[in-house]
Order: sequence, then C-alpha cells, then structure tokens
Amino acid sequence: MVEVKIDPTTRIEGHHGMELEVEDGQITEARSTMKMFRGAEIITVGRSPRDAAQLTGKVCGVCFICHRIGSSRATEDAAINAGAFDGIPEHAKILRDAVEGIFFLWNHAIHLFALVGPDYSDAVADTGFERLDPLEGEGYQGALENQRKLMQALAEFGGRAPHPLAFVPGGVATNPDVSTVQTVKSRLREVSNWLGPTDAVPDVLENVQNGEFDPELGEGLHDVVSILVAAAREGAADLGSGPNRYYSNGLFREPESDERIFKRGVYRDGSTERMTKDEIVEAISEHTEYSYYTDDSGGAPTEAKPPDPDPNKEGAYSWGKAPRFDGQTMEVGPLARLTISGYDPFDLRANLGGGSDESNTLNRLIARAQEVLIVRDRVLDLLDAFDPNEPLMADFPDDYTGKGVGLWEPSRGTLSHYVDVRNGEIERYQIITPTLWNIGPRDGEGNPSIIEGAIVGDEVADIEDPINVMRTVRSFDPCLACSVHVDSPEGSYETELKPASPGGMTDAGNG
Amino acid sequence: MAIRTGDNGQTRRNFLKLAGTMSAGAVVSRHTGEIAQALQQATDGPIEVAWLQGQSCSGCTISLLQGQYPTLEETLSEFRMELTFHPTLMAEQGEAAIESMSKSPDVLVLEGSVPTQIPSAATLGERPDGTSKPLVDWIKELAPEAEYVIGVGNCAAFGGWPAAENKRGLHDVGENVTGARGLQFEQREKNGVLGPDFTAGSGLPVINLGGCPPHPDYILLTIATVLNGHKPDLDRYQRPKPFYEPLVHDNCKWRGYFDRGEFADRPGEEGCLYKVGCAGPYTNCDDQTRLWNDGTSVCLNVGAPCIGCMEPGFWDRFQPLDKEVEQQNIFGVDVETAGLAVVGAGVVGIGAHAARKAMGYGTSERDSDGNQSESAVEERTASDADQQSDTETGADKPE
Repeated sequence: MVEVKIDPTTRIEGHHGMELEVEDGQITEARSTMKMFRGAEIITVGRSPRDAAQLTGKVCGVCFICHRIGSSRATEDAAINAGAFDGIPEHAKILRDAVEGIFFLWNHAIHLFALVGPDYSDAVADTGFERLDPLEGEGYQGALENQRKLMQALAEFGGRAPHPLAFVPGGVATNPDVSTVQTVKSRLREVSNWLGPTDAVPDVLENVQNGEFDPELGEGLHDVVSILVAAAREGAADLGSGPNRYYSNGLFREPESDERIFKRGVYRDGSTERMTKDEIVEAISEHTEYSYYTDDSGGAPTEAKPPDPDPNKEGAYSWGKAPRFDGQTMEVGPLARLTISGYDPFDLRANLGGGSDESNTLNRLIARAQEVLIVRDRVLDLLDAFDPNEPLMADFPDDYTGKGVGLWEPSRGTLSHYVDVRNGEIERYQIITPTLWNIGPRDGEGNPSIIEGAIVGDEVADIEDPINVMRTVRSFDPCLACSVHVDSPEGSYETELKPASPGGMTDAGNG
Repeated sequence: MAIRTGDNGQTRRNFLKLAGTMSAGAVVSRHTGEIAQALQQATDGPIEVAWLQGQSCSGCTISLLQGQYPTLEETLSEFRMELTFHPTLMAEQGEAAIESMSKSPDVLVLEGSVPTQIPSAATLGERPDGTSKPLVDWIKELAPEAEYVIGVGNCAAFGGWPAAENKRGLHDVGENVTGARGLQFEQREKNGVLGPDFTAGSGLPVINLGGCPPHPDYILLTIATVLNGHKPDLDRYQRPKPFYEPLVHDNCKWRGYFDRGEFADRPGEEGCLYKVGCAGPYTNCDDQTRLWNDGTSVCLNVGAPCIGCMEPGFWDRFQPLDKEVEQQNIFGVDVETAGLAVVGAGVVGIGAHAARKAMGYGTSERDSDGNQSESAVEERTASDADQQSDTETGADKPE
C-alpha cells in the first residue's frame, strides 16, 4: 500500500488536497482535505442582517452573486417570518434570476476552458485541435475574452464584477433603464454568437469526431464539444462514479408562477421526489466528527452554533463540515439539476456518458455544457420579461426578530444560508455550500463524502501521474473559499504529478 | 496577440521622457499603451512571478482576469512573465506545482490574509516532516528573496475580511478569529507578518493594493511599473498614489446632491447615498473615473453606496455598512449642515469647492499634462486628513 498526497490540487478555487491509499494500482481510500478557515459565520454574528449579505457576498470572489442573493433571501425570509416584510418586488426576482443566469454562463465558461480544459488539452491536441492550448490557443483566448463580456453585463446592473454591491436585501439597489437592459442583451448576444446555435450540437459533435471545425456553427460550441469528446475518449465516463443521489434547490422561476425550469427536490433510488422548502430544511444536518471543529458544532443548521474551531482535533482532517440529507450524501451541481429536472439535451449523457442519470466524471462535464445552452436561452427570456421601470427595492425595518432560511441554486449546486435575527442583530448564522456537499469529509458514521466515494475504486495506472484523480476532482468544479481547512497525518510516500497540458502557464513567457 | 497602444501612439522614447518628468505611477495610471510597449522591451528575459493565496476568496484573481489594457494574456505572453505559481491558473498540481514555484521570484504576490493565531487556517503543500505547511512560513521564506512584494487586495494588504471583528467574542477565539494579518499591516497599524522594517530586494516595502477586490489595472500596471524599473510613489499605507490618491467623494456622480444636501433614504434612490452608509468621503481610489469592467460602471453609479473597501480597516471601520458613517469623525463638521450651507450660498459650481474647503479637505488635482497644480498642492489631501484624524483628533469611527 502506498499513500499519495496531492497538495495543492490547483485549478480549482481555493485550498485543497487529496490523500489517497493505493493498493495494486487501485484507490482503496480517499480523504478530501479542505485547507482554509476564516470564520465567516462567527464574523457575521452580532452584525446587522443587511451587512450579512455584504460580508457573506464576499465569502467567495468566484460565486459572489450567489452568496449575496442567498444571504439576502435568508434575512428577507427572517423578516417575513417576523411579520415585518411582504417580500421583494416581482421584477427584482426576475432580475436576480437573470444575473444568476449570466453568472452561470460566466462560471461554466471559466470552468470548462480554464480549469478543466487543460486536463484534456493533450487529448484534444492529439486530434489536431489546438484551440484549447492554455494561453496560446484561440479557443482559450476566445473564452477569456467572452468571460469579460459576461462580467461587463453583470457590472451594468451591479456596478462592477467581481463583488458587485447592488444586490442587497430588499431587492436590487439599482435603477437600470431600458438602454442598460439593451446593452446587457447585446453583450449576451455577442457571447451567444461566439457559443453558436443550440440546434447545431449534433453537427458539431460529428465535426469534432471527424477532426473538423466549422466556425459558422459556433466557435465556442466546437471547443466545448471537443473537451467532451476528448474526455470521453480518455475514459472519463468510467471515472468518479457517485451514488446517483442528487439534490437541487431549484432555480429560474417562470414569471407569474412558482414553477422552476430547474426543479427543486432530490433524486434517489432511480426516481425524483419534488420537495417543499420546509421538507428540504428539515432533512439537512451537518456532521463535524472529521472536521477541525468541536464535536458539538454540528447538527441542524437551523439550530447549531457557528462552527467552533478546534485545529488540533484528533482524527480530524478537513476544515469542511459534512452535510447530509436524511443522513445520506447527495451530489449537487449541474448533473444533479438536470437529472432532477429530467433534461438531457440531445441525449448527450445517455449516448456519450453511459446514461442520463449516471454520476461520473464525464457526465458532470456534459451536464455543465448542456446547462450553458439551456441557461443562455433562459437569460434572454428573463431579460425580455424584465421591466426596468417597475420597483426593484422594497423596504423592511431593521429591528425585527425572526429566523430565516435562504435556499438558492448557484452554478456549483445547492446553497443555503440560515440566519437568526434578534432585535435587528444576527444571533446565529450558518452557510452550507455546494462544495461541502460534494467534497467535504466523512460523516459521523464514517461514510465518505461524494468525492471520497467517487475516487475509491478508480485505477491509478501510473502512481506518479494520477491525472485521473485530478480530472475527477475538477469535474465537481470545487470552490473552497466558502468552505474550508489542516494538519495532515504524516505521509509515507510523496509523488510528483506531471502537468497534462501542451503548454502550461510556466511556458507562457518562452514563446 | 498584439499589444494595444495608447490613443496617441506614443513610442517608448516618449514614454521614458514622460517618466523622467513625473512620478512613474502617474504615468502608469494614464499611459497604459506606452507602459505595455516599454515593458515589453524592458523585460527581455523572463520575469518570474509567484502568486500565493492565503485566506482568500479568489476575488482578486477573478478581478485580474477582467483586465483589458493590458489583458492578463498579454501580460503573460508579451511581457514575458513566468507565472511560476498560481493555484487557480497553473497546469501542474501537487508536488510538481510546488517545485515549479520560483523560490526567489522577481515579484511575490499574495492574495488573501495570513492567519497567525491559527496558522493551519491556510496551508500549502507540506513541510519536510509531512505536516501541512502554513502560509506564514511560505511568506517568511519567500519575501526576503523577492525583488518586489505586492499585497493584492485588502486581505493581503491590511487583513481585510478575515480580520473583521468577532463581535460577540464567540468560542474564545479572540477578536480576530484566526489572527488574520496583512503582509506588512494589520488594519491601519504596521503590524503585519513581515514586520514594519521589511524591504524587498528592490529596497521597496510591501506595495499594498487595497480593495475588495482592487481594480485589475492596479494589479497589472503596478507589476508593469516595478518591472520597468520605476519605483511607484506610495502613500502612508504603501499604496501607489496615482491609484489611491483621488477621493471617491470628489468624483462621485451624486456629488451635486451632497452639496445641495439632498440625501437618498435608501440605496437605489435618487440622491446622495451618504445617509445610507456611503464611505465615499473617507475612501481613496480612482474608481469613479477609471470605472470597472472596461469602463462599464462603478458601485455608486448603480446606487450602491461605497463601502470603503480600498481602505485599511475595512470592514469594521465603516460598519454597519448601511448606516451613515459618523458625522463627527474625520472632518469635524456636520456633513449635512455643510451641504445645506452650500445650498444657502446658491451657487452650486462654487459650492462644491466651498464645501470641500469648509470641511478641510481636498484632492490632489493635476492639470492636463499630469503636473500637480499649485492650488491642489495647497489643499490638504484626503489622506492627510485621514492621518490627522488618527494622530490629532483620534475621533475616528467608534469601534
């Protein structure tokens, strides 16, 4: 048995390492270690509920909009429960959905091209397709250019990106006019043109499989499909298998109804269960047995105290906690959303990825790509329905007493903020992030997290180059800023991992 | 990818001539194209950069990716920068990533704060004994070997978000939950992890780019400036003056409302946002004129009050963020009264200037050639006013 440590895991957001035990070329045990702690929940306590959205909005510089909205919804919910607030205006809801949608497009573009892309760029390059070469490739550069356009669209409403300040409790503190909306739409159309038409997917797939490139069918689409095809050829469908249990808070309301494009609920034992907010809140608890927090820091997030750090705790290995749904691990993210909603556009997961509901490394990438297409169209619909002349902010008093929960569904998966406000001051605050669900530590029963379970059983052909482990880690699009951190057990083996890209960052200056 | 040149297409020779007659930082802030050209020629060999993350949210990295003139791609490829380590962007992982990192970088960049009470609250790689290696060890090892050390963002510069107060004193972990500090500062005190007397190989102290996050131009152009051999003019918090000298308040689109005493009751309403927590009168940066995301917008333009994120002491200095910053602190006069007095004078154009004088601060203005005008020099700068509040009146915002 050899022990392999990968620290840092890089090209994810944040500090993370993997500790693996490998026997006869097969991973027999995996520990996912989150390596940072800041104390967001502790810092939030004692402050104004409005400041919670500002502070927790900056928990993450990647998922900034998501936390701002999640926190705003929690404090609004508390005010509603206190009888002090009637809810935010309808068009503020539409605008929140629209900016979250723009954020989805931005995040998925960055992830597919800059973070995951290099894992497969050797394989893509083997097909003669060099557009995805990090830095030098036209595809890579086009993605960076287009992510800037998406951020500009966010800045039109929010003032700047990252960390726009205009999304606050009560709605959206901005007064966009018709021309602002037009500017955003025109930015989105530019990005949309770069991506290419949705119905071109089958033709693009054929092109890519034949090593051909037709810019009229969409440059972005060719690049994204190339990554998927390369990942399929590298065997990513056989990697990182999860338990086929998924959970989503749902997102993108239909204006004038509570129906969502992405449904709310869980998928387990082969079927979908629609759920109410109360049922979801009731089902979730957190474990801290393997976390650097005191044992009594866990429990129901509606009741538990903010996590109490215990950096020298015996047996602990992560600054993350272990959230469970009815005691079970749940995978969250694009694959969870699409499975729960019953979407598999062009049967890509059914055909390329071994089944629509199969949890594996390839299907996580395919689902992300499919979401780009779904959300691209959805954002434009939302902006069509958005009337900037309608009210976007609603007042509520500061001195209320009440408890609230903000469920939200960012690109990486389910997010929930829990707040307890007393006389206008925060008494208790909890956040459960998508990354905790996917790559947190073991729970009190010793059950591994989604990623720990997914990696066990995978083969490591070359112990000095466990690239497949990294492919699986990155397929979850982990983002640890909001979660995380470490003192690990002594290792018996150190390994050197080789980059899997035809021109990494370190070669950038040598051309 | 071609380097974009400035509108006037100045050559390197002209750039250097300009640089000889004014502070380098001032050149940088408004002559991006020339900087790009000059830098390209100045850096014939590769420049090694190591970018570490402490207790960070990666927001500074995401901000960096939004840079337009130059873009990050241009900076890396055209300026021959070797980003030997960047956890979010690099190809390698694990031991190979650590090995690729330059151990004597030309430029050491830190994003995020450094935990000192709980060192394990941010680690990277391992010590020889197999335990995780705290960021604070990395910083103490690498900083003395670096030619320049840059703290990118409020956390790396001043402690920032993770250093915000544990207001209820929960869990006996102290006011600062993890003991988060900046490289050379802890809030407004020179009490960072590198000590007050630290200087890098260049002789410069840590260059602080405050902001949550800082503007991408601040990051890329500061790196460009130092690599081009210029020493940026730094303020008392070691921030490059051209970026951090202008006062948000002076360039705010709502400034006329302030001078007329017309205040909004909530964010997003028409009017000056001072009463809903705007920290613009206390915050130095040129965002109001530079704008974000390729000139798209800025916080105040969309009705979001300035929260003072460019300043040391942010968060708690301006908290609660949605409440009026205390009236009797920096200026020593009632802001609303000062504004109304100007309305009484009835001449708005003169009023703005009068209000500024009345409150004992001004801004360092430059003429079109970039030279400081005499009148501007005579006026006290905002950072002077800030200093006075620290040392003379001690009447800063109560904790």
